[in-house]
This record gives sequence, C-alpha cells and structure tokens, in this order.
Amino acid sequence: MSDIKGKILYEWLGEGCIKNLQFSDPSQLTGDPYDIAIIGAGVVGSALAYKLSQYSLRILLVDEKFDVGEGTSKGSSAIIHTGFDAAVGTLESRLVTSASLMWHELSEKLKVPFQQCGAVLVAVDDEQYNQLDKIYQKSLDNGVEDVKLLTKNEVKELVPDVSPNVRGGMSIPRESIIDAFSISIAFSEIALTNGVDILLGSRVAAVTESGNSVKHLKMASGKEIPAKIVVNVAGLGSSKIAETYGGEHFDLNPRRGQFIIFDEASRSIVNKILLPIPTAQTKGVLVIPTISGNLLAGPTAEDFELGDKSATATTIDGLELMLKGASKLFPSLTGEPRIGSFAGVRCACKQGTYQIRYNDGLPGILTVSGIRSTGVTSCPALAEYLIEGLKKECGVSLKPDPQAVDSRPESSLPGWWKHPYEKNGAVKARPDYGQIICNCENISHGEIIDALDSPLKPFTLDAIKRRTWTQTGRCQGFDCTMKIAELISEHCGIPLDKITKNGPGSEIVSR
Amino acid sequence: MNSEHKFNVAIIGAGPAGIGVALGLTKRGIKSVVLIERNDDIGGVPSIYKKKKSGIPTFINWIRGRVIFGEDYAGWLHQKLSKTDVRIWRASKVLRIDPERKSITLVNSEKGPLDITANAVVLACGAREKSPVEFGWLSGARSGRIFFSKNLLELIDQHDILPLKKPVVIGSDLNAYAIAAKLKQSGAEKVAIIDNRQRPKSPLFSRLYFRLWKSKPKFHAHVESVTFKGNGAPSAVVLDNGTSIPCDGIVLSGDLIPNSELALLARLKMDIPSRKPMVNSNFQLSEPAIFAAGNILGGFHGAEWCYFNGLKVAKKVAEYVKNG
Repeated sequence: MSDIKGKILYEWLGEGCIKNLQFSDPSQLTGDPYDIAIIGAGVVGSALAYKLSQYSLRILLVDEKFDVGEGTSKGSSAIIHTGFDAAVGTLESRLVTSASLMWHELSEKLKVPFQQCGAVLVAVDDEQYNQLDKIYQKSLDNGVEDVKLLTKNEVKELVPDVSPNVRGGMSIPRESIIDAFSISIAFSEIALTNGVDILLGSRVAAVTESGNSVKHLKMASGKEIPAKIVVNVAGLGSSKIAETYGGEHFDLNPRRGQFIIFDEASRSIVNKILLPIPTAQTKGVLVIPTISGNLLAGPTAEDFELGDKSATATTIDGLELMLKGASKLFPSLTGEPRIGSFAGVRCACKQGTYQIRYNDGLPGILTVSGIRSTGVTSCPALAEYLIEGLKKECGVSLKPDPQAVDSRPESSLPGWWKHPYEKNGAVKARPDYGQIICNCENISHGEIIDALDSPLKPFTLDAIKRRTWTQTGRCQGFDCTMKIAELISEHCGIPLDKITKNGPGSEIVSR
Repeated sequence: MNSEHKFNVAIIGAGPAGIGVALGLTKRGIKSVVLIERNDDIGGVPSIYKKKKSGIPTFINWIRGRVIFGEDYAGWLHQKLSKTDVRIWRASKVLRIDPERKSITLVNSEKGPLDITANAVVLACGAREKSPVEFGWLSGARSGRIFFSKNLLELIDQHDILPLKKPVVIGSDLNAYAIAAKLKQSGAEKVAIIDNRQRPKSPLFSRLYFRLWKSKPKFHAHVESVTFKGNGAPSAVVLDNGTSIPCDGIVLSGDLIPNSELALLARLKMDIPSRKPMVNSNFQLSEPAIFAAGNILGGFHGAEWCYFNGLKVAKKVAEYVKNG
C-alpha cells in the first residue's frame, strides 16, 4: 500500500499521541462537506467504509476509541456463523447466511486469517437429543443444507474426548473461525488507501442540520465536521447519538459475554467448535478453537444498563460457570491450563435485532443498531445491503472508482499466522525478523515495527496487541509489555511514560 | 548437518541455573557446551535488579556471606563463566525441541531459524509471575497499569520512571515485599499488600529486613476475592469483605509459574496446572536426554539456590553424556 489517499488523524493533543497525526482543527480534513460520514469504526462501520470506498465518494469514518474495532467488535467468539440456528426469515438470518458464503474469498482479499474448522452440535441428555430433528429442519429452512445428523459414535469419531454422556449430534461443516481483530483493521486500511479519511479518538456528541440539508457532526471537543449523509453505526453509543437528531427511539443495553482462554497446548485436544443444544433455561456454553491456536470456553449472557462500566469486567463466578458448562460437553477441559479471560459486550436492542432506519429524524441520516453478536459474520453482507438502501432511500449516487483497490498486500498477513523468519532469506534481509520480542507467540521486533508502520499508524499497547498478537500468550505480557512500550516510544517519538494501553487515562505511569 | 551446529550439551537459559550447569560441566571436563539465552544479555532475573544509589540489595550470596544487588550477582556469574570455553549464544530464541532427534530449533538475527543437535539438553528456562487468571481470585476491569513486578522493575531501574504512587501488590512472597520496598524507596506514598493467605508468605526475617529500608506495607490477609475497579487505569481494588483500597495501579507478584513451554509443546510429561515438568532423581524428564534445572522445577527459589541446583544437575548431565 504505497499510495494511501486518505488521512488518518487522532483527536488527542497530549504527548501520548504521534505529533503529526494529531487532529487539532477541522480544516485538516476538508473544506467541503463529506458525501458520507460513518460514525463507528467497528466491523460494520469499517465494512461499510470499505464497500463505499469502491465508489467515487468522499467519506469520513469516525470513532471515539483510539483504534478501530475497539468496542463490541473486539470481544467476540470470532466465529463465522452459517446461520443454521437463526430465527428463520429475519433480516439477521438472511444476512448472516449470505455473508457466511462470502468469507472464504473475502478473507483472502483482506489478508485476515480464516479457517473452516466446522462445528459439532452435541446432545448430552434426552431433552437435548429430542431437539435435534427440529434444529436440523431449522437449518434446512435457513438454507444451510450441508448439515448432517450424527449418531453417538459419529460424534465420538469427530470429537474423541467428547463427554461420555453424548447421545447424538449434528455436524455443521461450514462453521468457521477468524481473526476477529483483523477484520475492522483490514477494512479500514483498504478504505484509507482508497481515500476514506479516518478520525479516531473523537466522540460525536450530536448530529445537527443546517440549511441546504448539510448535516454537522458536533464533536465532544466542540469541533464540527459537515457531511451530506450520516450513517450512525456507533454500536452501544448509537441510541444516544440518535436522540440528538430526533431519530426514532430505541433502547440498547450491553449484554456481557465472558470467556476463558486455554493454553495453546490444549488446542490439540479439540479442533472443532463444540456447540451445546440450547434449552429453555440457557443457550449454553461453547468450546471454540481460536485461529491463533488457543481454545475458548464461553460466553455468558448478562444484561447491564447502558453506560455501566462494569459491563466489560470479568467475574470469578462467570468464569467458573463457563468452565462448568464447557466441561459438560468436554470434560477433560477442566484439567487444561488456563491463560486468560476476557469479557465482550453485545449490542442488544429491546426493539429487535438489526434496526435499520433510513432518513431517521432528518433526511439523509441512516441509523443501524441492534447487531448484537452477529456483526462479525454479517458485516460484508450488511454493508452491501445498506449501500443498496442508501442508493434507494437517500439518493446516494454510486459511480465506481476505477482506481479503488479491494484487497490488502500480501505483507499485511499478521506474523503470528505465517512467521516472517520462516521464509527463506527473510532474516538476512531484515535481521529484526530474527529478534524475538514476544516469547510466547514468538513475535519478532520486525513484526512490531511493521505494525507501527501499518496504515492506521497505531501507537497504543492494545492496538499493537490486536495487530501482532503480542501480550496475548500464556505469560499475558510478563515478558514483552515493557519491550513493546520501549519500541513504541522509540519508533513513534512518544515519551515512554506517556505510552498508553488504549488512550488517555491508561498511561503506564500514573500522574 | 554442519559440525558447527553439533554440541555435546545445550543449555537453554543463561540465568543462575543455566550458568551453574555450564560451570559444573566445565569443572567435570565436559567440552562442547552451548548456552542459549533469549535476552540480549546473560544473568537472568538478577540482572534486572540494578545497582542503584537508592536501591536495596536483595540477593543473598552465602559464598561471600552478604546481601548484594542482583546486578552484582549476575556480574559475579558472568565473570566465572568468562573463564571457561562455553559458547554463549545471546538473543537466540528456542522455538522448539525435538526430544527424539535431540535437536533444537532456534532463531536469532544473525542466523535466522536454525537447527542444532546435542547429546543432552538442559532446560534452565526459569519462571514467570502468575497472570490474573492463574491467581484464580482476581477479577474485574482489564485496565492499564496492571504490572508484573518484573515490568515495574524495568521501568524503575532501567528508565528511572516510578509508574505508581499508591500501588496495591497482589501476593505476599519475598518478591512482593522486595517490590513493595523498591516502590517505597523510589517514592511511592503508600503500599498495600493483599493475599488470600492468613499470614504473609515471605518469612519474618525478610520482612524485618525491608523495614530497615523504611518499607512497612499494610498487609490484608485472607482475601478470598479481589475486584479491580477503574476504566483507563485502576482506581481501587475491592476486597470480598467490602473494603475498598484506593490505588493508582496494581502489581502482580504471586507464586512463580515454570517456563516449561518447550517441554509442554514437546509432549513431555508435565504436571498441570502447576506446569512443572516431571523429573526423576537425576533431574531427567520423561525423555532421558532432556534435563531441567533451577526455577523451572517449580517453587520459589533465590538466585543462589538456582546456581547450586545447576551445579548439581551438571553432575548428572556429565554422567549421562560420559556414559553415552
């Protein structure tokens, strides 16, 4: 990506931000109104920016966090669902099912690690066993036709250490796993290359309209950015913004999902996603291989009030519950070494899933919310669906941009997926590919430098974590955190004591 | 294979234990020994405890009968090693070992990925501090400023930065009291120590020793669960009895977890969840050509114990390679 047409800016004037990326005045962006401003750079917002960047349009992608994909999108099970169990006939089911067929080819273009590992639905008692036929029929109704009912012995063959209580199951061969962190990053990088401007660390406080139907994003800092069309895909932040432009009322709440992460050594015991059969009481706990070679058990489903900061915290009880639930499917998991835990929040909406409202409150505003946990899968199909709608409902004219690219260069593949030092001659050409910084995942100095030089110019510890997979291994940063902080400091010209985990307030040194 | 890449004994890790093994082997006349260290310099954990004017010496050196700085201890080991013909490969990361072929795959900036073979391999990889989930009784926000004590030392000793003024230290072993003293000495206002034990794990005499350095952290005993509060950074920890301790950061200093990944990934016999490799009385793992020495064996041991253990393991390794 030698020729990047868009601008990347961060609204952070402190010493913790790279100097020449600081957003201090709207004139750094544009004089004329943007054709489209997208609020929210999660999987959906960044997918939309990517798809729209294929056309001759001036686009802004803005997010309050200091990296893309740092809200709901960062804490998921990282499964690409087939949609076999979705509510038949809903928009969500349609988009998930059609998107699941896109990811094979799309992941190649985006250079996002992806693996079709398949899933097995496991019934461990009579009540669950009796439901299998119904679930099988539902899969067919959802257009997922390659599912297969399994006998007890067939399940055991696919999953040798499965619970001895297994009664039967169903295989869903196209359920896949993906590097969910890389999705928003890849979409945004390509969008930026095609000329989309990206503004991070900037919270939209309100959207208003002036004459001649131009909308204004009013930032919390007081700055204003004009745009003709505004798309509000701000996840859990979307309802508050919608109030400011008089959009139809809807209620959101974070629904927490806690996960346990198991050591890489445990990955050899399960290589398929194990799904429980939902009962009247609970949806159950999944066992999920991750693309980076770990195992997950989770998630919980706990509702919080909007704005409750504890929604992303883990709890001892929650993790115990996950371990207990997962061991119902796979008992030997209890003895496996655990290395970490995390909690993600789904964007739950009382008015229903996939709330999509064109000309909401004001003409030219599109509100999208309630994507709950399916956005990782559905985002490419949802983006196409939204673009059709923008054309029809808001009169956006779509003229293909002949110079636009739709893929990332080969070098964007994360190092943990294909270690550069394994390539012949790579270390000779770049000796720092042989200098290992993260000892758990064997990530080199060179890979961290490449991440710092990548299009969005990330400079927080978490942003580097999501690009390189450092600090995620069994030592959870014991060995590498300070070395990475030093590297960021040196490479980006940020004083070491001003390096942050994820933006102002999370400095490694307290004031 | 190039003869340059064939060794009699390969030692992985050049801390006190690994250096002890190397010196012990030299003493017994074993030639062709390579010491592989992933960091830029040898010396292991002691080397990060720098000699500073405001610092506190915490490394016991019975041989010379005094308490010295870690950096000095590492220097003492280094000096002994420099009189031998042990090959030292720095900044070289071992990716995997293959016990059957007795081969080691490593990577460094000069050579890229590279295979070497050895008649015996000694794992002297040391240990790391427990992560929050490994403690099992810590939960809450995953904010900034949650440090391992090693990370903290790197900031204080190498960069002269004091990251925390009101820290809460989790764990009460010798290391926890040492880091509490270090923080106090470096200017921290108030230090609290929390553990799920009834009494501090660190023995009384060492706690008294740190009092000499004006460090008297408040100990909160028998805490069954701790919740971290705060957004960007911790603002308080809340104990199970409701006590809220305001803080500006957290230091994790629990029991140590052996760096036994190479053995784990080579499917050698391990104890889970302690991650101790299983060894016989000769310090051999389930594959007889693979030995272990130092803190990788489990427990909490000082540098000198590791050094002496290295000498002991060297005796067994020497017998093994001599008998072919």
